[in-house]
Parts: sequence; structure tokens; C-alpha cells
Amino acid sequence: MAEARSLRSGPGRLLVAVYAVFAVSACFRASFQLVTELGRAPLAYLLSAFAAAVYVVATVALARSTPRSRSVAITAVSVELAGVLVVGTVSVLMPAAFPDATVWSVFGRGYGFVPLVLPVLGLWWLLGRRRGPSD
Amino acid sequence: MIDVVAWVLVAACLALALWGVVGAVRAARPAGPQLLGMAVLEVALLVQAVVAGVRLVGGADVPSTGTVVAYLVVSVIVLPAGALWGIADRSRWGNGVIAVSCLTAAVLVVRLVQVWGG
Repeated sequence: MAEARSLRSGPGRLLVAVYAVFAVSACFRASFQLVTELGRAPLAYLLSAFAAAVYVVATVALARSTPRSRSVAITAVSVELAGVLVVGTVSVLMPAAFPDATVWSVFGRGYGFVPLVLPVLGLWWLLGRRRGPSD
Repeated sequence: MIDVVAWVLVAACLALALWGVVGAVRAARPAGPQLLGMAVLEVALLVQAVVAGVRLVGGADVPSTGTVVAYLVVSVIVLPAGALWGIADRSRWGNGVIAVSCLTAAVLVVRLVQVWGG
């Protein structure tokens, strides 16, 4: 069963843990923003919700560690990397577009820039794993 | 929040996180005393959550009750979840998971103090 576990063992186990933390915190953040004050900054809050969904999908896909979930995880982590780069750049160039922060604002500065590093590590881990016989 | 108690909790979380990092660097699996420390810390976090919950029900004045409740709930889940996920891996990475969960608990308690104080 070593191949079936491969994505979530070793460094993958640590990645799943960090992704889970971000999935939970992004979900809470997004739901509070959406429930309490959607009208104030709809773009930022919908982006928060989108980021939360991406983190949840990435966490579950990494933790499931099946051949199909590997593809899902690669897609989710790629979307995450694109998201943090685009939102990070836009939030630096046009701060007015984001009156309230999302998890990806200024490349994740509010979260110690972990949101910027995480997808890079995720892709390194996902793409660095060779497909095993049952992978 | 009782600030002094909260900061003691933060210090304990950080100490256990450091223990996890040291273990990971030394390529060790999570050790018994380490897990015992996490269990003691978990009890303290549970007590904090119950005390805070009682004060909330009693009408404590906090700017955002929902946020406080969310932090309290996650603060009692993060250590057991991290320990279970971490010890299942027979390598240094299990200690990495434990370090992340302890660090997350520390951040949660700090945020809790900030949110509670407004």
C-alpha cells in the first residue's frame, strides 16, 4: 500500500496539515465576511470564499492520495498559485480594489506569506512524485 | 480573557512547537513525553474554552462573538487532530505536523486575546 499512501506520507503529511489549517481558517474568514458584510467589499469576500474552496479541495485531494485525487490536487494547487500571484499583484498595484483583505492580499502578507510559499511546495511535492504502479 | 493565563498557554504551545521542530530536524518520531505535554496543553485549552464560553453566555462584552467562538472551537481541535495525523507517520514529518499544530494553537490563542480585547 506504499504507493497508495505516497502523497500523504512523509513531507506530504506535513503539507496536508498546513493545507488543513488554511482550509479551516479561510472557510471561517469567508463565512464571517459573507454573512456579516457582503455589501462592503463583494469582490474581496467572494475571492475569500473562492480561496477557501480551493484550499478545501487541495487538502482533501492531497489527503485522499488516489491517482484521481492527485490530478485534482495538481489543478487546485495550480489555481491557488495563480490566485495568490494575481490577487497579490492586483492588491499591491490597486489597493482600492480590495478595501478589505483576503487571504491572498499582498501575496498573503497577513499570513506570514505562507499562502505564497505553500502552492510552490505543493507543486514541487505533487510533480516530484513519480507515478508508481498503482499511483 | 485572563491575559496572563493566555500568554502562559501561548508559551507552552511555542515550546511544544519548538520540540516538534527539534524532533523533525533530528529525524525523530514524536516521543511519549512530547505527546503527554500536548495532552496537558489540550486540557488547559479545554479549560480556557469552557471558561471563555461561560463568560460569553454570562454576557461578556466582546466585539465579535462569532469570531471568538470560532477561535475557541478550533483551539481545542487543533492539537488532537495534529497529534493523530502526526503520529501515524513513522518519520520525522510526524514531528513536523505536531510542530505545525502547536504553532497554530499558539496563533489561535494570540488572536483570541486580540479579538477578546477588541
